[in-house]
Formats: sequence, structure tokens, C-alpha cells
Amino acid sequence: MKLKRISKYTIVAIFFFAALFVLESCSSKNASAAKPGAVLWGENCIRCHNAPSPAAFSDEQWETITLHMRVRASLTANETEKVVEFLKMAN
Amino acid sequence: MKKVLLIMMVMGTMLFAQSKPGQSRFLVRGYAHSGLEIYKDESSFVGGSFNPIFLWQQSDRLLFEAELEFELENGETHLALEYANMSYILNEYATLRLGKFLLPFGTFAERLHPAWINRLPSRPLGFGHDGVGPARDLGIELRGGLPLGDAKMNYSVYVTNGPSLNDGLNPAIEQEEAGMLLYDNAEDNNKNKAVGGRVGFLPLSNSSMEIGFSGQYAKLGDNESKYEDLAALLYAVDFSYVSRVSFLNGVIDVKGQLNGVNVDNADYFNVEDSSMYSFTNNSQSYYAQLSYRPAYVSNDFFKDLEFVGRYSALTFPDGALWESDQTQYAFGVNYWIDWRTVVKLSYQVSDAGGHGNEGEEAGESTDAILLHWSFGF
Repeated sequence: MKLKRISKYTIVAIFFFAALFVLESCSSKNASAAKPGAVLWGENCIRCHNAPSPAAFSDEQWETITLHMRVRASLTANETEKVVEFLKMAN
Repeated sequence: MKKVLLIMMVMGTMLFAQSKPGQSRFLVRGYAHSGLEIYKDESSFVGGSFNPIFLWQQSDRLLFEAELEFELENGETHLALEYANMSYILNEYATLRLGKFLLPFGTFAERLHPAWINRLPSRPLGFGHDGVGPARDLGIELRGGLPLGDAKMNYSVYVTNGPSLNDGLNPAIEQEEAGMLLYDNAEDNNKNKAVGGRVGFLPLSNSSMEIGFSGQYAKLGDNESKYEDLAALLYAVDFSYVSRVSFLNGVIDVKGQLNGVNVDNADYFNVEDSSMYSFTNNSQSYYAQLSYRPAYVSNDFFKDLEFVGRYSALTFPDGALWESDQTQYAFGVNYWIDWRTVVKLSYQVSDAGGHGNEGEEAGESTDAILLHWSFGF
């Protein structure tokens, strides 16, 4: 019972801090189509896992991995192409 | 053992084939984990699992993905096919997927469950095997992502075999769990197919926030059984927010998901006293998780640390022989050796609530210290 009472406060606290951080991030105004690959790489990978270093895989491997991530993370074609271009360039 | 050796031989052959030039591309990725788990009366090193993922890219539009899971359990090596499917890119915004795939029922099962991605050694209550809601299934899916001005959305619609019902009449399945849904069915038990989908919205221009809504509807019973027309409505709501926070010199990651399963009412046979009984067959589980990594501090050690807290809860229906009401707190510290290799130390306390599970007293709390190491490759 005590745990349940604490849980309500925990959830309220989590959403309060989330709201604060959302307000901070609202300053960003770039539409996805205009963003460079480096930005898209940073924004999309980190939604689920740490962003990998471009040196982690070869250019050919990146093509397969980004196609895999396009399907898994429902990225658009434009985002995928820019991310793979960035990874190859920075590799 | 023969199966494992055969698979290792096939993997070896494929790895050799990887070095050959050509248009087709083959890649082995995956992850592995193991650890030490300490409970009140016992402690053990646990074998964890080894999950190779195979990717074949046949062209710019065609991709095959498959994941196997080798897991040590009760002194034996278990092998399971997590998924195996073909994806075909139809156009800029739509992909067709066929085969066995991770279901977009929320985000935990599809995106967050791998040991090198999950921020804690354990899964939230109700999000593992025998949880509330499906994790994978066989069928066909249309999915994709779309820009919406500065925002984005993603979608998925699918038709699969769907869950079946444990009607309590099959001695080969745990009869005291009558009314519980059975997922991941290799063959459908009726002509009906499950229909479901998920819509995710990323309202902020930097894609840092995502809110998703998932649903699935399916008939459950065997053909020509008294449960033939029994149906279930499954739903999930998920939330994610990940962003750099300058005043904290780091990255915060907030995740949460609510899963629900509502099954039509029915009478079941009670194996304990040979009577018939019924109950309101609604189950629910949810979790909320917050993690913080001081990734932008100057100290090389502290920037690789991560602090995590999670609350999860699970409710199985009152009146069922498997009724349960559980809650769990988990707190952890992670050390990232690189972007996909992590050592996770956590302390978790679980409360069985008003109803004890098998082997537990009502209201009993279970403490555990878990130390796991996960390796993505």
C-alpha cells in the first residue's frame, strides 16, 4: 500500500521533469527534411540506444544497417539517405 | 546439441560468404548478456543469452532479418526463433513486412527489450514472457514514417495469427491459467486473424518526444469450441522523451508504457474443485522509467556512468486462479564501456501486493541485487 502511494508521486515527478525538459527543447525549429545527416543521426539513434560512432562499421555495412534501422525505426527515405551519407563521410 | 552444432556450421559458412564481393550484402549483428543475481535465500550466476541477428540486403529495397536466441535455462540450452521476416520498401513512406516479426505493440518489445538497450538488467513487470500483450507474431505488416511539417509520425498496420486462449481443458497447458492468452503461435487455432496497429507521433521538431497508441483485436477460441467467438481487445500507450539537458551536462531518457488486455467474459472449468467459474478477464501492466547520463561532463569516468530508476506494476484479473497484483521498484547504475557494451548494477524490490503468487505469501516483498553485463555487436 505504501509502495502504491509512493508510485503516484514518482510518476507525477517523472512527468513534471519531462515537461520541463520538453519546454527547453521547444526552441529547436528545424524541419526534418532540412536537417543535415549528422543531426538526424544524433536525434534518431538515441531515441532507443546510444548513437554509434561512424567508425563502428564499414561503408558497406552502414548501408545494410541503415536500411535495417529504416524499417525498425520507421525512418523516412530522406532521413535514411542523409544519415548513411553522413556515416560514410565521417567514417 | 545437434541442432546447435548445425546452426553453428551454417553461421560459419555464412560468415565465410560475407567476404565474397557482389550485390548481396550479409551481416551478422546481435547481442549477448549474462550476470550475477542475488536474492534473499539464493544467488547464482545466470547464463543470460546469446542472440545473433542475421541481415541480408538483396537490394536497396529488399531486406531479410532474423534473430535466434540461445538461452541457458535449468541446465539446458534453449534455442528460439525470435523473428525471421522479409521487408520490401514500397515507396518513400511505406514498407511491407512478411514473416515472423516483433510486433509494434507499444515500443518495449519491438525496440527496447535487447539487453544492450534495456537500461536495467530486468524487464518491467508484465513485459517479459507470459506478460500482458504480445511481443512477436507471424503475419504481414505495412509500416512507415511520414513528415508532418516540423513534426513526424510513424504507423503500422498488421494482420497476424493472433493470440489463442488457454481454455483450461488441455492438460498439456497449465489448466489453472484458464482465461490467459497464449501468444507467439506458430499456427493459428482458428480462421480468424488478429488485426492491429500502432500510430506514433513525434510532435517536437528535434524528434525527442514520441507518443504511441497501439491496438489489436482478435478472436481467440479453437474452431468449433464453446470459446470460438470469444474475442480480446488489446491496447497499449507508450511514451518516450530523450534529450540533452544543458544545465545537467547530460542526457535524460524518460520511457513509459501501459499495456491492457480485455477478454470477453466466459465460464471456465476449475481444476481445483471441478466447478465452473467466471471472472472479469482484464489484465494490465505498466512501467515508467527515468535515466540520466552525465555524458557532457569533462571527467572521463563520470561521462560513462548512467543512473536509472523504474517503477512497474502488473495486475492479473481478480477471481482468476492466476490473479495477481504486483509492483516493483528498480534502481540501477550502469557503466558504458562503449556505445553497445554495458555493465549494469541494480537493486530491485518487488511486492506481491494483496495476492500472493505461487510460492509467495500475500504482501511478500522480494529484494534482489542484479549485476549484468551486456554486449552488442
